[in-house]
Amino acid sequence: MTKMNERRLETLKGFYQNYVKPSYENAHRAKDEGKLVAWVASTFPVEVLLAMDIIPVWPENYASLCAARKVSVSLCELAERKGFSKDLCSYARCVLGSLFDGENLPEGGIPKPDILVASTCACDTHLKWFQVASRIFKKPLFLLDVPYNVEGVDAEKLEDYHVQHYVSQLEELVGLLERQTKTRLDKDKLRKTVELSNKTSELWLKIQNCRKNVPAPMGAREAFSAVYFMLCIPGTEEAVDFYRRLCDELEQRIKENVGIVENEKYRLIWDNLPLWFDLQFFEYLQGLGAVVVAETFSHVWAGNLNPSNPYESLARKHLANMANCSVERRINLIAGLVKDFRANGVILPTNWGCRMMTIGETLVKEKILERTGVSSLILDADSTDWRNYDEYKAKTKLEIYLKTLK
Amino acid sequence: MLQSRDGSRMESLGQLKTLVSVDNKFVKDWKSRNKPVLGYAASYTPEEVIYAGGILPVRVFGRLEPSKLADVYLPVNVCSFAKSCFNRALKGELSFLDGYVASNTCDNQNKIYDFWRHRTSIPKTYFINTPHSTSENALKFFHKELERFKEWLMKSFGVEISEKSLKDAIKTFNENRKLLKQVYALRKPNPPLVSGSETLEIVLSSMTTPKDEHNKLLRILLDEIPRRKDPPKKGVRILVSGSIMSDSAPIKLIESVGGSVVADDLCTGSRYFWNTIEENGEPMRAIAEGYLRKVPCPFMSSYEERFKHVKEMAKRFDAKGVVIFISKFCDVHSFEAPLLAEELRENGGLPVSCLEWDHTLTGVAQLKTRIEAFIEMLEE
Repeated sequence: MTKMNERRLETLKGFYQNYVKPSYENAHRAKDEGKLVAWVASTFPVEVLLAMDIIPVWPENYASLCAARKVSVSLCELAERKGFSKDLCSYARCVLGSLFDGENLPEGGIPKPDILVASTCACDTHLKWFQVASRIFKKPLFLLDVPYNVEGVDAEKLEDYHVQHYVSQLEELVGLLERQTKTRLDKDKLRKTVELSNKTSELWLKIQNCRKNVPAPMGAREAFSAVYFMLCIPGTEEAVDFYRRLCDELEQRIKENVGIVENEKYRLIWDNLPLWFDLQFFEYLQGLGAVVVAETFSHVWAGNLNPSNPYESLARKHLANMANCSVERRINLIAGLVKDFRANGVILPTNWGCRMMTIGETLVKEKILERTGVSSLILDADSTDWRNYDEYKAKTKLEIYLKTLK
Repeated sequence: MLQSRDGSRMESLGQLKTLVSVDNKFVKDWKSRNKPVLGYAASYTPEEVIYAGGILPVRVFGRLEPSKLADVYLPVNVCSFAKSCFNRALKGELSFLDGYVASNTCDNQNKIYDFWRHRTSIPKTYFINTPHSTSENALKFFHKELERFKEWLMKSFGVEISEKSLKDAIKTFNENRKLLKQVYALRKPNPPLVSGSETLEIVLSSMTTPKDEHNKLLRILLDEIPRRKDPPKKGVRILVSGSIMSDSAPIKLIESVGGSVVADDLCTGSRYFWNTIEENGEPMRAIAEGYLRKVPCPFMSSYEERFKHVKEMAKRFDAKGVVIFISKFCDVHSFEAPLLAEELRENGGLPVSCLEWDHTLTGVAQLKTRIEAFIEMLEE
C-alpha cells in the first residue's frame, strides 16, 4: 500500500482542497458581491462567459462531488420524491435534489444562478434539467441549439450552415449577456481567453500523450481529477499553469521509468464516466496490475481554437464533440486510443440514466473488436447513484475479463 | 369507394381502425403502383414535402410486445417504443419500406438511428436535423435543412417536387387537420359521440394512409357519427397527456374502469395535427415554420407552449382530471411531467395522476388499479 502512495503524483496531491473547494468558495463570494453567476452545462463554450467576467458554476461537477462525499443518493431521493423518475440522469437528480434540501450541502451547495446556459450538444438531459432549475429559480435559460453531427465528421469538414447556426447563436448570447451585465464584450479579452483555452487543450493533450509510455505514469483517478481545468475553466492562467506543472512531473516520471503501477500487466481504455462514489475502484484495478491509460472523457474536451476567429472555432470544436455525433466517432476515437496507447482492454461502463452513452455500447464493442482485435467489457454501473451498481457482480465480471486479455 | 349508408353500422370507423398499420391496404396499393413508401419516426417530419414527390409517408409504429431481437443489441434502459420500432425492422415487418427518416428529436431516437443504419436492411436512411428552439435563427436553419431533405428525396427517388405540388400537399394536409379537429369536436357533448380510444385510432390511421383517401373517409365518418346507434357511455371526463401512443390499449384501460377520455396531449394525438400550415407564401418556409412552431414536444426548449395547450384542451373539452402517461426512459417527458402536474394542479385546478408505462405493457394490472383509484376519487 505504501508503494502505491509513493507513486501518487505530487502535482495532484490535495487537488480537491487546493483547487475544487476554493472554486466553490470563490463562486459563493462572487455571488455575495453581486457578480453574475451562470450555471453551465458541459459542452457549453464557457470561454464566452469567462471573457465577460461571468462566474461559471458546473452542476455536473457538483453532482460528482456529492457522489464522492457519498451524499448523492440521498439527494437523488429528494428529487424522486418530487416526482422525478429514478430512471433519469443521476447527475440531474442529485443536483435537483440539492435544491429541495438546502441544509448541510457539501460546499454550501451551488451558488444560485442569475442565468443558466446549456447546449443540446451532449444530450437532451442538459436542456431539460436546466429548464427545471430555471423554473425553480425563475431565472432565464439560454439554450444553444446544436445541430447533430450525424455523419460524425471532423471539425474542418462540417457543413457551413451548421457552423453558421452555432455562430449566430453565440452572437445572440453575447447580445443577451451585454444587456444583462450592462457592459460590452471586450473582444481582446475574448481573444486572450480563447488563446489560453487553446493552450490548455495543447497541454492537456500533451499530458494524455505521456500516458502512451510503458509503464504509464498516470492513471484514471488522476485524470478524472485533473480534467477539471480542461472541462470547467479552460481559458484561464490557472489551468495553463497547473497543466505545465503536471506535464513536467509526468515527463520526469517517464525519464525515471516510474509507472503509476509497479507491475503493469494490463493497459485499459475507460469509456464514459467513472463511478464518482467509488474512485478507489481505479486503485483496486491497479492492485490487479491494470492501469487505465486513456479515457474517452479525457479526449473529448480538448480542441483546436483560433483566437482570431473565436466563434467559428468554438463552433467547430463543439459540433465535432463525440457526444454530438453518431457512434462512428466514438468507435474511431476508442479504436485510435487502443492503437496509440497500446491498450489490451476496453471498459465500457453503462450509466443507468444516460441514453446517449449507453445505447451504442454493443456496436462499439463489436466494431472495436473488428478493428483492433481487442475485446471490451460492458460494465453495469452509474456515475452517481450507487443503487444502480452491484459491486460484487461488477468486480467478479471484471476479474474474469482481465484474465481473458492478451 | 366506401359510401355512407346506414349510420348505425359506422363502416367508416371500422375501416379507419383497420388502417392503423404500416402495411394497410392503401400502402399495399401504393406499392403495387411502383411508388415509394417512406417510413418516418417523429411528428416533426415534414410529410408534405414527401407527399409532394408522390412518395407515401407512413409513421412507423411499435407494437405492445417484448422486443426480443432488439434486446440483443439495445440495453434495458431505453425507450420501449423506439426499441419496438427497431425490433419490427429486425423482424422484417418493415421490409416493404423504401426508406426510413429519423429526426433529431431525442437521445433515444438519435442513438438508435445508428442501429437502423448498421443493423437493418432498409435501403435508404435519412436524418433530419430538427432544431430544439423556435427562434428566428432556428427557423432559418430548419428551412435550409428541409431544402436539403427535398433535394435528397428528388435525387434518391427520381421524383420532382414542384412549388405547385408542395402547395397542393399543404392544402390536402391542412384539410386533414381541419377534419380531425371536427372529429375532436364530437367529444364535447356528454357523453361524447366518439370515444377516446376510437379517436386515437382515427388519428393514428391518418399517419399511415394517403391523406387524400383519409380525408374522404373522415368526411364519411363525420356524416355517419351523429346517427350512430352505439355511442360511448358516460364516464368521468379525462384528458390524457404523454408522448407516443401507437396503440389505444392504455386509453381502453381508462375507459374500462369508468373513465371517458375526451381530450389528449399526445404526440400521436392532438399534437400531430393541431396547427395548420400557412397556405400563402413560399411553401418550404411555411412548412418549416409550421412544424417548428407547432404545439411543442418536450424535446423543444419551450415547455410553456405545451402546458398552455394542455390547459386549453382541458377547458375546451371539459376534462375533470388528467392522466399523464410517462413512457419509461423517455427523458424529455419524465423531466416535464412533475412540472406539468404542478401547473395543472395549481393553475388549472385539475386533479392529476402520473403513471409510468412502457410498450411491453408489463405491470398492466398495477396500472389498472391506479387508474381505477383515480377515477373513483374523481367520482366522489
